[in-house]
Amino acid sequence: MHKTRGQRVGLAVLGIAATVFFFFPTYWMITTALKTPAQILSPDYDLIPLSVTFDNFASAFGKDGFTSFLTNSLIVTLGSVAVALAAGLLAAVPLARMRFRGRKGFVLLVLIAQLAPLEALFVPLYLIMRDANLLDKLPSLLLVYVAFTLPFTVWTLRGFVKGIPVELEEAAMVDGCGRWGVFRRVTLPLLGPGLVATSVFSFVTAWNEFLFALVFIRDKGNQTLPVWLSSFRTAFGTDWGGIMAASVIYAVPALVFFMFVQRKLVSGATAGAVKG
Amino acid sequence: MMAPALVFLVALLGWPALQVVFISFRELNLGELVRGEVIWTGFDNYVEVLSDPEFWTITLRTVVFTTGVVAATVLLGLGLAVLMRHLSRGVRMALQISLVLAWATPIIATTTVFQWMFDQQYGILNKTLVLLGFESYSGHSWFSTGASTLTVIGLLVCWQAVPFVAFTLYAGLLGASKDLYEAASIDGATGWQAFRAVSWPALRPVLAIVVFLSVLWDFKVFTQVWAIRQGGPDGQSTTLPVLLYLKGISGSGFGVAAAVAVLMLIVLVLVTWRYMRLLVRSQETEL
Amino acid sequence: MRSWSKSLIGGVAVALAVAGCAGSGGDTGGDNAQSGPRELTVWLMNGSAPETLTNALHQEFQAAHPGVTVKYEVQQWNGIQDKLTTALASNDAPDVIEIGNTQSPKFAQQRVLLDISADTASFNKDQWLSGLEGSATWDGKQYAVPFYAANRVVLYRKDMFEQAGVTAEPTNRAEWLAAIEKLKAKFGSDKDFQALYLPGQNWYSLLSFIWDEGGDIATQDGTTFKAALDSPQAKAGLEFYKELVEASGTKAPKDADEQTPEQAGIYGGGKVAMIIGLPWEVATAAKSDPKITELTGAFPIPGKAGPAPVFQGGSNLAIPANSKDQDLAKEYIKLISSAKYQSEFAKAGMIPGTSTDLSALEAGGPASAAMAKSSTNGKGVPATPGWATIEAGQNPLKDMLTAYLTGAKSIDQATADANAVLNEAFAG
Repeated sequence: MHKTRGQRVGLAVLGIAATVFFFFPTYWMITTALKTPAQILSPDYDLIPLSVTFDNFASAFGKDGFTSFLTNSLIVTLGSVAVALAAGLLAAVPLARMRFRGRKGFVLLVLIAQLAPLEALFVPLYLIMRDANLLDKLPSLLLVYVAFTLPFTVWTLRGFVKGIPVELEEAAMVDGCGRWGVFRRVTLPLLGPGLVATSVFSFVTAWNEFLFALVFIRDKGNQTLPVWLSSFRTAFGTDWGGIMAASVIYAVPALVFFMFVQRKLVSGATAGAVKG
Repeated sequence: MMAPALVFLVALLGWPALQVVFISFRELNLGELVRGEVIWTGFDNYVEVLSDPEFWTITLRTVVFTTGVVAATVLLGLGLAVLMRHLSRGVRMALQISLVLAWATPIIATTTVFQWMFDQQYGILNKTLVLLGFESYSGHSWFSTGASTLTVIGLLVCWQAVPFVAFTLYAGLLGASKDLYEAASIDGATGWQAFRAVSWPALRPVLAIVVFLSVLWDFKVFTQVWAIRQGGPDGQSTTLPVLLYLKGISGSGFGVAAAVAVLMLIVLVLVTWRYMRLLVRSQETEL
Repeated sequence: MRSWSKSLIGGVAVALAVAGCAGSGGDTGGDNAQSGPRELTVWLMNGSAPETLTNALHQEFQAAHPGVTVKYEVQQWNGIQDKLTTALASNDAPDVIEIGNTQSPKFAQQRVLLDISADTASFNKDQWLSGLEGSATWDGKQYAVPFYAANRVVLYRKDMFEQAGVTAEPTNRAEWLAAIEKLKAKFGSDKDFQALYLPGQNWYSLLSFIWDEGGDIATQDGTTFKAALDSPQAKAGLEFYKELVEASGTKAPKDADEQTPEQAGIYGGGKVAMIIGLPWEVATAAKSDPKITELTGAFPIPGKAGPAPVFQGGSNLAIPANSKDQDLAKEYIKLISSAKYQSEFAKAGMIPGTSTDLSALEAGGPASAAMAKSSTNGKGVPATPGWATIEAGQNPLKDMLTAYLTGAKSIDQATADANAVLNEAFAG
């Protein structure tokens, strides 16, 4: 579809307006992290910070145990993304491609599983983890995060598998690819956008989860970043500048992860299979 | 092949959810929980919750709030997804980065930033409005009534939820083959016709699940509602999850809280029932 | 129908089994762990005890009890209710916990804490802090030991007072209001100036005024409480709050408390002469302007004649009923409540819970000294389980203040409404 110059400019303006709208609170967070408490609450009009301080970032990095919290968070998050994608994909393919008894039941289960409020589930889940002897260990969090993100992963990937024409796979089969070869060369690249969406979803969910991270893990050596973030609040007050600086640091890995999967998966999908 | 997913869903979501149902028929306060006492009280917890006239007000408020936020989120998300498809690489990347940042920012930070932006005296919003000539917004309180408070909370939730919706729908659009677009364009289809004929079929299944999930999440949203004004002023922005928290954690009445949870679930099922049937059926036939 | 009832029975059995193990740690307390290396798990809150203090304390404790290791875990305030709930129910509950004083009656009423009535003498009971002591008792029994507390004072800019011609720190309401007038006369031309920054929902300050008038939040009869915000004394306290808000010309929001926005940041901006706050808020303000520390003075919140009573917020120490080593836990509390370590708390700027020696606090700068001065007149909120629900939930005192100050409700209506909510919470 070819657009006129006017259309292109109009679209660009819309795109930039949307970017500004969604970036503004983030921008405000970043500038707040560069302010002193009085500047945060200044009566002046300060859309652009007049002077900056890096004290908040220094105090955020200086909080002890940052590296161990970061490592734990990365292990739990990347682990749960991997497990959720693998289990989700394994379930999505038969759901999309095969007819079998209980399929409807399974779909219903996937739907209903998400209805219960998580805040109500934490006592039963705590008891389960205790009885499985997993409390205070990172796998307890990994398992729970997989469970939270799996329904969406299964459902979305199923839709994408369904969208791939069976003929394409059959053609590849004729070309001499084995079942695994077809999956790797045809199905997987076409799933690219779906894998990006679901993996970023899993990443953000696990990366930011606080309640279970707090309740399941006692040992400081095994705690994750959300708990670190909450240590900026004490009974004596909250270090808001510190929280904002920490949140900026906090959002960076998620951005890196997004850029990474985006490049790996989407470019593969659009460059390769669709045209073929 | 489905075994791993099945195990996760049953053991870590289904089973605990069932336990919540059992707990809702028990008297379970902190003491009983710690000592492991089991006291069955039949429907007492339900009677306690349902006999409070507030409960129905809160339920209605929650449903209205959810509807508004979901509608806004999905429309905005859909618009952005379509927009992203047509943007040049540079602008698209900028938009995507700002969306990922909005999505990945911890809730506590976003909520605090919103509180500051909407602050009566020092908020950038009121200052900007005054600068633009709306003098009456000097010292305007955004949190003085329940409706105004919920609107701000809705905006906050929406801002955090749109990125997910936009990315998922964008992924769905990318799933539609480019060849089809080209074919449509050669046939002389207008933008709208191409959207109806090509994008819409590709979007529909993803849109369906996104709407469904948005309803679930927005219905259950708690942290933001609580952080802004603890369900105030005078309880006017209290939603069902806030009620659950008040009964369960503030009051340590886990039995009553479980009853609220079950009732919430019933309301959710009622609200989404037709939709769920549609999802299940459509998956049997065309999707 | 048959399959329904069958599955119900099956489910009940399972739920029983699950619930059954929740309490398995409960009856093993006492002396089953006498031999071999032992571990004492201690939970204190983030920011409570300085690290130097705990290091020294744990060294001394471990030296005195060979074979014992103190497992010290710092807890976050955020989500502490959830964490305590699950931990107390687990089979390796901590042995010593710090709990907020307003939470204590609830835990005591639920019988999840050890009754320590017989041991209070060894915890320095004769020197306990008045504001906390009530919160540690329930139904005549002792369930917790006061740990530390703090109360609010008026922080003020010495330089502004001097320039406005206020020569002495106000000691009663009349002098306070007169000082405000002088400050306004001197600095009023600056439109950003506020003689006193007082947000509408600073209910801790309201408590001071109500107590000063001779009123209270509630009246107690045994373990039952009855809200008393509609008493003439309480209404008089509320009226003084409004008078203060109007006299000071504060621009603070009427629908928010002192933390949103954070008042210390506003004080640090240099356009505010006074705030009612805690001593360490000076440090927060100093982040914006380091000079502010030496420019800040402090005096107790004035009452009608002399300092008003103040709300004392703080923490207690308790032993969970599920602790496996309760004797050792008592030993630990005995050590931390000894004069030696209590004075360390005073040095760190807090009012010690089990020692009346405030000399270290008095030497800790004007704000700490003012806090020490008013600490003898400290009071607590009603020591009832219902109060925990109120403070962790929706606080009707805040709604009452906003409604009255903005004129949305009359004083009779506002107090009656808040009273009703309180009574409901007290009833459980």
